[in-house]
Amino acid sequence: MIGIEHYIVLSMALFCIGLFGVLTRRNALMFLMSVELMLNAANINLVAFAFYHGNITGQIFALFTIALAAAEVAIGLGIILVLYRNFRDVDVTVPSQMRW
Amino acid sequence: MEEFFTYAPAIALLPLAAFVVALVFGDAMPKKGAIAGIFATAGSLGLSLLMLAAVASGEVHHETYYEWAVGDTAGHTAAEGIAFTFGILIDPLSALMLVIVSLIALLVHVFSLGYMNAEGEKGLPRYYAELGLFTFSMLAFVFADNLLMAFMFFELVGLCSYLLIGFWFRTKSAPSAAKKAFLVTRFGDYFFLVGVVAIGATFGTLAFAGDGSFVAEAEAALDGGETLFGFDAETWITITGLLVLGGVIGKSAQFPLHTWLPDAMEGPTTVSALIHAATMVAAGVYLVARMFGYYALSPSALAIIAFVGGFTALFAATMAVVKDDIKQVLAYSTISQYGYMMLGLGVGGYVAGVFHLMNHAFFKALLFLGAGAVIILMHHEQDMWKMGGLKNKAPVTYYTFLAGALALAGIIPFSGFWSKDEILYDAIILGLESNVFLAAYAMGLLAVFFTGFYTFRMVFLTFHGEPRSDAAEDPHGIGWSVKAPLVVLGVLSLVAGVANLAPVGKLLDLDIMFLEGWLDGEYGGLEELTYGFYGDMLPYETALIGGSEETTLLVAAALSLGLAFSGAGLAWKLYNVPEPTEHTQRLGGARDVLRSNYYQDEVQVWLAEGVTLPVARAADRFDQTVIDGVVNGVSSVSLFGSSWLKRIQTGLVTNYAALLVAGFIGLLLVLGVYGGWFL
Repeated sequence: MIGIEHYIVLSMALFCIGLFGVLTRRNALMFLMSVELMLNAANINLVAFAFYHGNITGQIFALFTIALAAAEVAIGLGIILVLYRNFRDVDVTVPSQMRW
Repeated sequence: MEEFFTYAPAIALLPLAAFVVALVFGDAMPKKGAIAGIFATAGSLGLSLLMLAAVASGEVHHETYYEWAVGDTAGHTAAEGIAFTFGILIDPLSALMLVIVSLIALLVHVFSLGYMNAEGEKGLPRYYAELGLFTFSMLAFVFADNLLMAFMFFELVGLCSYLLIGFWFRTKSAPSAAKKAFLVTRFGDYFFLVGVVAIGATFGTLAFAGDGSFVAEAEAALDGGETLFGFDAETWITITGLLVLGGVIGKSAQFPLHTWLPDAMEGPTTVSALIHAATMVAAGVYLVARMFGYYALSPSALAIIAFVGGFTALFAATMAVVKDDIKQVLAYSTISQYGYMMLGLGVGGYVAGVFHLMNHAFFKALLFLGAGAVIILMHHEQDMWKMGGLKNKAPVTYYTFLAGALALAGIIPFSGFWSKDEILYDAIILGLESNVFLAAYAMGLLAVFFTGFYTFRMVFLTFHGEPRSDAAEDPHGIGWSVKAPLVVLGVLSLVAGVANLAPVGKLLDLDIMFLEGWLDGEYGGLEELTYGFYGDMLPYETALIGGSEETTLLVAAALSLGLAFSGAGLAWKLYNVPEPTEHTQRLGGARDVLRSNYYQDEVQVWLAEGVTLPVARAADRFDQTVIDGVVNGVSSVSLFGSSWLKRIQTGLVTNYAALLVAGFIGLLLVLGVYGGWFL
């Protein structure tokens, strides 16, 4: 029998992989993918707990998140395109002017 | 007669109109604005006389004309909110004063034709406009029915005297004297303002008369044994009364704020006459008389008034003894005479004080205008040592001036004798009961001697002996506009004493004390503003020499008259010679002290430079270092801190994510430790 803890461990693992990507990678595309991983870790949590409690609300939230993620990717890719146009690069450490 | 009161506001508004006319059209008018001023003050005089007649017929006018703010918070004792109003109160005292002020103002205007116009002065429209404004302010001050209105016009009077003293603003000394007058009186007025606020806040009203007057409220608080602002009622009344007295001491040139007045001689002599006789300086003493009921509630305040007055009378009289400038002698005599009035009011002699105020207005205006005439005669020379022998060359000036001098010195039967004698009588009967007042009486009595001396020193040096300069040999002529006011005032100085021949009345048991009856409301008046009412409120007991009024009267009169004659006699012996000499070297060291006015100016300058300036410097240093240091320190700490802290904003999104994670972990740890997850 697969219990709730298995899903949580899976989601934690997925989230940590995403976080590791955000903290270590410099490529913007990798960034975007890592963010997707963290989002999906949250989705797994939502679905798992919805199933565990027998409550459909969590699954609906997960659907919303997926839809939002699609939108986010669209915007994210747009930003990466603009980034590339301006800096001829998709390295996130290059554009660091947005500060004091 | 009541319908006359409809015109009451016009008494003050006519000179105001003259102010506007002289200012706007003065240059185009034949006498440069003098005509407007003369007509306006003549109108005011006529209306004031009507008021006097109306009051004599038993009517009193007390009406609020304009209410410009009504408060909604109750005062300390009153239930209703305080109302700030403009109102007119015409009772025996203010009606009398209106006549005096408008009469003197009219005569000064007429005299100005000879003194200013004929001498070809520049800026005459400005001069007449300021005279008009001055008269307006004083008249409005006189008939003010509440303390705040009185304060406002009191300030306007101060402003006008500033403008007029500084009339010759291109000279060096006049603007400086004007500034001095303004600042010194302002120093006193500062206390007055605080006093007005204190009285308003305490009693919730500033009205002089009526059921809800602050005097009545104060009396009720005193009877009820109330505690006001943490003091018992009498102490608080004394404190507020003394605060108001600050303004009086400044305006009426009492010690220690008298120093502005001798310098005020820098203004035209006509202005000096107006300031000294009727407007500026009289305002202070008039205010004490106006709110005498309030002071009567506080024995300590009255005693202070009496002692300040007595001391000033003597102090100023001694300084007048060594002056060489005719106007300076008169200036110090003014200070001294107002000291007498304060002494009279302070010892409870309300009638005596007002009587002297009236007589002094006449004889001091006369003396100043006389001095103005002398200055015209002498081609604008004011040093008495360059005069002499004017007696035969200008008989009108001489005899009128002599009348004023006799009144000033208090020689029977001139007006000054009667009022001064009454003041001294009131002082001695009080002093015999409570002996501390004998000191005030003694100062006043001694001042009589000095008054007699300096007055006749001035007369003899100016008019007697041989001419001591070319100007005195061949004096300039004077016209009717100079002579007419002198004659009017000369007659008044001689006969004004008839208004209250108290000693004669008491000795012969005649009912001839008209002024006392007048101020006692015998002809009409507000009951709470009468002499009899004040007399019941006064905390004083009196005693008589040998228990006999006649003896006391005769002794007091003989003493003051004897001293006046001996002073005058000494002056006659020393100075009524063809070639008088100074004689001041006989005074030894005292001479320098007197000539330097007891170093009062030096003391005040020292107070400013030696005390106030270092204190201000220390305060400034404290402000610059400690206060500013704290403020600047706070700002530089935050500047430095943030310049260091801003480095965490790297612009790299990775770092932000790392910080977020680190913060989240830190939060988890903290929550874990405090939540006991690790136990």
